[in-house]
Amino acid sequence: MAERTVLAEAPNLPALFGRAALSARGRGGDLPATRLARVGVPVDAAQAADYARVCGFPLTDTLPVTFPHLLAFPLQVALMADPAFPLALPGLVHVRNSISSIRPVRASAELDVEVWAERFAAHVRGATVDLCASVSTGGTEVWRGRSTYLARGATAPAGAPDADVTVDVVALDRTAAQWRVPADTGRRYAKVSGDVNPIHLSTLSAKAFGFKRAIAHGMWVQARALAALSGRLPEAADVDVAFRKPLFLPSTVTLGTEQVDGGWDLAVRNAGSGAEHLVGTVRPR
Amino acid sequence: MAAPTRKAAIVGGNRIPFARSNSRYARASNQDMLTATLDGLVARFGLQDERLGEVAAGAVLKHARDFNLTRESVLGSRLAASTPAYDVQQACGTGLEAAILVANKIALGQLESGIAGGVDTTSDAPMAINEDMRRVLLAVNSAKTVQQRLKALAGIRPGQLLPEVPRNAEPRTGLSMGEHAAITAAEWEIGREEQDELAVASHRNLAAAYDRGFFDDLVTPYLGLARDQNLRPDSSPEKLATLQPVFGKGEGATMTAGNSTPLTDGASAVLLGSDEWAAAKGLPVLAHLVDAQTAAVDYVHGGEGLLMAPVHAVPVLLARNGLTLQDFDFYEVHEAFASTVLATLKAWEDPAYCKDTLGLDTPLGAIDRSKLNVNGSSLAAGHPFAATGGRIVATLAKLLHEAGPGKRGLISICAAGGQGVVAILES
Repeated sequence: MAERTVLAEAPNLPALFGRAALSARGRGGDLPATRLARVGVPVDAAQAADYARVCGFPLTDTLPVTFPHLLAFPLQVALMADPAFPLALPGLVHVRNSISSIRPVRASAELDVEVWAERFAAHVRGATVDLCASVSTGGTEVWRGRSTYLARGATAPAGAPDADVTVDVVALDRTAAQWRVPADTGRRYAKVSGDVNPIHLSTLSAKAFGFKRAIAHGMWVQARALAALSGRLPEAADVDVAFRKPLFLPSTVTLGTEQVDGGWDLAVRNAGSGAEHLVGTVRPR
Repeated sequence: MAAPTRKAAIVGGNRIPFARSNSRYARASNQDMLTATLDGLVARFGLQDERLGEVAAGAVLKHARDFNLTRESVLGSRLAASTPAYDVQQACGTGLEAAILVANKIALGQLESGIAGGVDTTSDAPMAINEDMRRVLLAVNSAKTVQQRLKALAGIRPGQLLPEVPRNAEPRTGLSMGEHAAITAAEWEIGREEQDELAVASHRNLAAAYDRGFFDDLVTPYLGLARDQNLRPDSSPEKLATLQPVFGKGEGATMTAGNSTPLTDGASAVLLGSDEWAAAKGLPVLAHLVDAQTAAVDYVHGGEGLLMAPVHAVPVLLARNGLTLQDFDFYEVHEAFASTVLATLKAWEDPAYCKDTLGLDTPLGAIDRSKLNVNGSSLAAGHPFAATGGRIVATLAKLLHEAGPGKRGLISICAAGGQGVVAILES
């Protein structure tokens, strides 16, 4: 039986990142069965407005499809920062994100959020783990999220399944849009999301973790791409995105879109080299 | 029961010569140019102190303080101060859309007379303060206590002092209009040579029209300029062939500064009225605005070219009026880029495109190219966005009038945002 802990308030992310860095060594074992939850969480209207602006979503009474991730993320970090978690948080790379938008979430709703870890899997370059989230309102699940993280060099437990980090898309040759992604994109998204991972904030702090420059948050790239399809997304949808090459800041990138099976395939690529930063699918559910 | 309608008459037009950006009109505001243009029209048709039904005009690049640009221009003009006015904005379709709005009110009997116009300056363009700075200042403005105000002011960063300069780019795609047009040119395989030839024809036709006095009663000199500053009567395919491409990439790039319209400043206005009003005033009727149509395309995710909407609008307009594309004596296809005109004509000739994209059983077919932009168009004259519609309407109306009664002309104008405005005039 999974142990479920209900937190009274959102965990402090900067403190968690610090604690996780200090306790990075000597981790191992299997995933904990712990579930962290918060109940009756109101949406911060100012945060939702700032988030919409930074990602390019229109401001409406319905939350952007990616927004509930912001409520789940601090709980997921708390789970990963806990010494019982087998992988070290610093150095984890977000490689895939799936969202099931079961029904549109009103910005005025009070939300119950629950997160857990599962699917410890073997990857050619290490091990992956999925951090899952379920968001409900009034006892009805309205949103599900699954973030797959890769721990390079880590070892999955014996008998672990193979990691599944591939998302297939059609050829996306036509450029729907071109964006200049400014140097402060990471800082802007950190401010509205609370994800203050140093690899996103500045060249200096990113270099400390082995990146030549700051890189954009994968969740920002995903949100920005979905925002470009505002008004065209199914009300209830399954979103599945794979993060490929890091998007160094600043950059100019292109968005490719194609209508597929009543939804969309999309890709965000570097405008110069064509390197893929993100590929994804959106399907009606 | 629908009210009986009548066709609005085009009495005449006036514009100032179009100037190249940051040149002769660098110090002139939109309001200055529109007022001067209205006054020129007033002088030409004896409208001093006249109370007209309405003035509809607009600008594409417009500062927030110019929310009543047209009304302010009317108040500063020699028209009666009791002439109502309103602003219109449909990107490069603004001028023609304004003429359609005025003509429709005349057709319905709501107006007896009106002026449609447009103006734009890329020299005196509005600059916005940095978006972050704007938000800080809004917060300061709404602060109620000194502490709140200081806290808000503490949000100012040095980088926010840089203003935001307007870019000629589509907000949703981040691509400039030229880059969009280059994609369409490549898709339709529009060659460099044919583009340069079209540009040369535009310059030669416009120069010839000036030389034979065609614009004497359509253009009023302004700030020392008597002809469009961009006009190069000695333009030749050989000279244009030396220019490097500026839009598109690599080997296949065909679009140069010579076969694309430059940024320009200018204004235009058209006088419209009922036949009865014109007769009572002793004014001529050059032509009537018969019908008009707009269209829009999905250039973001739909795969259609940004400037291809007129291609979609024209067949609808033709069908409603029981006409074919060949039933015209003149064609005025706005030369945003030479490649845009050529892609438009090519699309109408393409059976597969006409069937699959436009839903037509047979293609619209080719036009007699000797009837196209016979007095030059935007490549030679320049294209101060909202002023182009008024330039074309007045030019075509006069052309039709010269040709005699029962002549017909087609106007096709593409606009930012994947839109198109088209209209039929008849003498």
